[in-house]
Amino acid sequence: MNAKQIHRFVERYLEATGCAILEKSPAHFKVKLSPAADRELTNRPYYWSFVDRTGAEPETMSLLLVTDAAKYDAMTMEAEAAGAGRQPGSGSQGATHSVAAQSVATPSVAAPSVAAPSVAAHSVAAHSVAAPSVAAPSVAAQGGTAEQAGMAALSRSFGFVPAGLGARTPRDDLYFGSRRLEQLFAATRRGGRFVCLFQQPDERALHPYDSAPYTPWLGVNVKVGFVCDMKREEMHAFGVSLATGTVVERFFDRLQGLKLTPRLPANVHVAGAALTLKKAADLVEQALMQKLKTCDYGWAAAANRRLAEELAQLAHYYEPLIESADDKRREQIAAQYEARKEEIVWQLKPRVVIEAVNAGLFHLSGLA
Amino acid sequence: MHPTLRPDRGANGTGKKPHPDVEFVFDRAWADELAERAARNGPWDDWTLFQLAVEAERAKLVASFDELQALRCLPALTPMPHQIATARKVLHEMGGRAILADEVGLGKTIEAGLILKEYIVRGLVRRALILVPASLVLQWVRELNQKFGIPATAQKKAHSWHSDFVVASLDTAKREPHRELLLSGDYDMLIVDEAHKLKNKKTSNYQFIQQLRKKYCLLLTATPVQNDMDELFNLITLLKPGQLGGQSDFAANFVADKRLPKNEDRLQEALSAVMIRNRRSDGGIAFTRRIVRNIEVKLSAEEKALYDAVTGFVRQRYDESGRDLASMLSLITLQREVCSSRDAVFLTLVNLFKKTAEESPMRAKIWELVEFIRRIQANSKAEKALELIRSTGDKTIVFTEYRATQEYLLQFLKQQGIHAVPYRGGMNRGKKDWMMDLFRGRAQVLVATEAGGEGINLQFCHHMINFDLPWNPMRVEQRIGRVHRLGQTNDVKIYNLYTTGTIEEHIVRLLHEKINLFEMVVGELDDILERFEREEQPLEQRLARLVLESDGDADIRRGIDALGRSINRLRADAKRAPKPALERVLPVLSVVPDGADAAAEVRP
Repeated sequence: MNAKQIHRFVERYLEATGCAILEKSPAHFKVKLSPAADRELTNRPYYWSFVDRTGAEPETMSLLLVTDAAKYDAMTMEAEAAGAGRQPGSGSQGATHSVAAQSVATPSVAAPSVAAPSVAAHSVAAHSVAAPSVAAPSVAAQGGTAEQAGMAALSRSFGFVPAGLGARTPRDDLYFGSRRLEQLFAATRRGGRFVCLFQQPDERALHPYDSAPYTPWLGVNVKVGFVCDMKREEMHAFGVSLATGTVVERFFDRLQGLKLTPRLPANVHVAGAALTLKKAADLVEQALMQKLKTCDYGWAAAANRRLAEELAQLAHYYEPLIESADDKRREQIAAQYEARKEEIVWQLKPRVVIEAVNAGLFHLSGLA
Repeated sequence: MHPTLRPDRGANGTGKKPHPDVEFVFDRAWADELAERAARNGPWDDWTLFQLAVEAERAKLVASFDELQALRCLPALTPMPHQIATARKVLHEMGGRAILADEVGLGKTIEAGLILKEYIVRGLVRRALILVPASLVLQWVRELNQKFGIPATAQKKAHSWHSDFVVASLDTAKREPHRELLLSGDYDMLIVDEAHKLKNKKTSNYQFIQQLRKKYCLLLTATPVQNDMDELFNLITLLKPGQLGGQSDFAANFVADKRLPKNEDRLQEALSAVMIRNRRSDGGIAFTRRIVRNIEVKLSAEEKALYDAVTGFVRQRYDESGRDLASMLSLITLQREVCSSRDAVFLTLVNLFKKTAEESPMRAKIWELVEFIRRIQANSKAEKALELIRSTGDKTIVFTEYRATQEYLLQFLKQQGIHAVPYRGGMNRGKKDWMMDLFRGRAQVLVATEAGGEGINLQFCHHMINFDLPWNPMRVEQRIGRVHRLGQTNDVKIYNLYTTGTIEEHIVRLLHEKINLFEMVVGELDDILERFEREEQPLEQRLARLVLESDGDADIRRGIDALGRSINRLRADAKRAPKPALERVLPVLSVVPDGADAAAEVRP
């Protein structure tokens, strides 16, 4: 996914979830989340359970979503250079706090005051005359607001603090592989599982006394994973006519060209379903299995070969060891052997894992 | 809608399996849920989200078994070629079980991060456990988050074990109650850093790692063999039992002597299936230059008087003691401390005074020395250091051997309006991290007494002042290594302060002019010093003897020259000699150009 595709993806997500876009450019969005999106994205389960229980008016968060970091940064720099105090986005950072912040605790350990070392007067005691505490703002100008100091303290303790935590409008750079985008992906997957839709009839063709025949289809998008210690994936979109049991492939692409609506349009009648959903799902499975027969299984043979080799190697190591062990140790070694065998199977055993991404009922014009 | 991993009735049972040797796992829950929603006529999801979900899945699709997917997800990271090669090899040829044995500084963490990320992207790792020395926990957390976008957390409380990606110290993990909790779970991936702590199979470390249930496993160590062949066997067997055969096969096939392998080719081949080592070599441009300047400091008359008095005192004591070197080392320290700060000498004298019997004539002599200290008004070296710090105007790290000097410098710099923070071995982890943070942020200067210990990475700073030089060259190299390491983008400027007419002058001459310490390739020094010790005695002791027994300055000079010659001879030997047999069998993947040797520039 390139920056442009990501931008489009984010935009559609924000619109679909009813977020209020406060500001946007080709490189960013500044949004106030809708309650639904806030629940998905801000990781505040306690807050939301509080809202749910008390019925309080929810206060959703605002996010700055940057879809093209380079462009956005250039833009803000330009805006700053132009002297316009209002840069797009970046809510709180702008104002430079001139707080010198907590002055650094310089070593409070005894500073040697050797001025008059009276050795007789007990060694180290003489040594620990408190140093006059000179105020040292010095390098403080290098920038350090109380807020930043707080963040630094958090990151010292936890090693890492996600960007923007604590800021009023946290900034997220959305690139492929970034955590926020991953989260958006997961949110769409959770929020777009099952649909029931009707094709919008072509307005012009519509005759007030006619009733257009519609066929109900089961549509399902499946992801097939070919897994051993490595993995390859394929996606397939199947459609099954619930009227006739016809199975078609690339069904999702076919839907893309249509206008779909959740409400049954006027002057439309849907053909009765001859198949149950269960039966249709079986047909999908059969079609898929047929398809999978033609795949290359060289990878699986190789994985099985490695699996056998590793098991043999393991047997060669453990069997004599178990043989020669005394009773007490034997059980322990045997358990170790079993555990290791399980690990190898877990790691190498070839398998094909098939899962549905999402599915729906689609009522499409025409009979099929 | 995640499928459960159970063999399925339908496809498997009815004999319609598309391939006989492969298990097919079909998730059918979706059909039931769709039917249920249809029966109740809802609730239905949004069409746009439905489409976006498909788009997202398509974008994430892993189209091929072997192309590295992680790279396109890591815009912030540009791994080096050997790191990518290593990741590929572990993923494609080793099935995710490997020992990463790169030499220090070649980026084992990056390699491990790449491999972990790749498995995460492919959906093959959901949970991972990363066990590292306590001092490295936060650094790992930081690197995994910042460089790899992996939401790793540091183990702090019992509940943090439940995070998907936990970084913890091995010492904590192996103790109850953590141990039991960890052994009851399973991990898609286990990473152990500093895995040379797993060489002895009788230790609790070893047994704990053995018992953890894991699918993929990476063991990271720069020194897979330190002492003998058994260690190698144990480490490999931990990862893949049987890879080197049973203990007796191994002994018969590969061990000539405790420290000497036989059938080297076969052994190397067996190792190369589970171990990857990248080595450094000469040439290339991977490193920035080291620019070394020795800066002369003239002692004030009072300081010189103290130095001479201390020297006299030390030599007198040495003669009195019947030339017993062992008892003299603390006195030698005195002499070196004079070159650092009066504070350091003072502290040592105080301790010496306390240890001396009350009626001893020694006490009076110590008192005399203290009188010399009293007369000193300024520290010439500190003034020089200040001048340097002011002139660079940049982040600077100052190393000293002595706590008292450190305190003095902090105090002194503070008075001069320079923001400096301390760093020393005795600080706890939190405080060390805090000081690092301050230095990264507001402080201009870090005054450190400790260079060793993992976890101080100071690539953001490229000025280093050796306020005094350790006599152990390894410690000097360690200091430099903190700053001059992978990721340093500037030439590193090293300033050695030395006081004229003192022992320091000789040390600088030895380390810099005679043995060219500052230009050595990492690892080389190690080797040479080991050879030196085998032939003579540790260099520090050799130096101490030289100082105590020499007859005047010219004599010391001759001694130093001789020392330099013998070290250089060893260096030449080392270059010529083949690698030690144990080292030779390690399977090297690539030799990484290292510019330290060719690019060091020295200015007097």
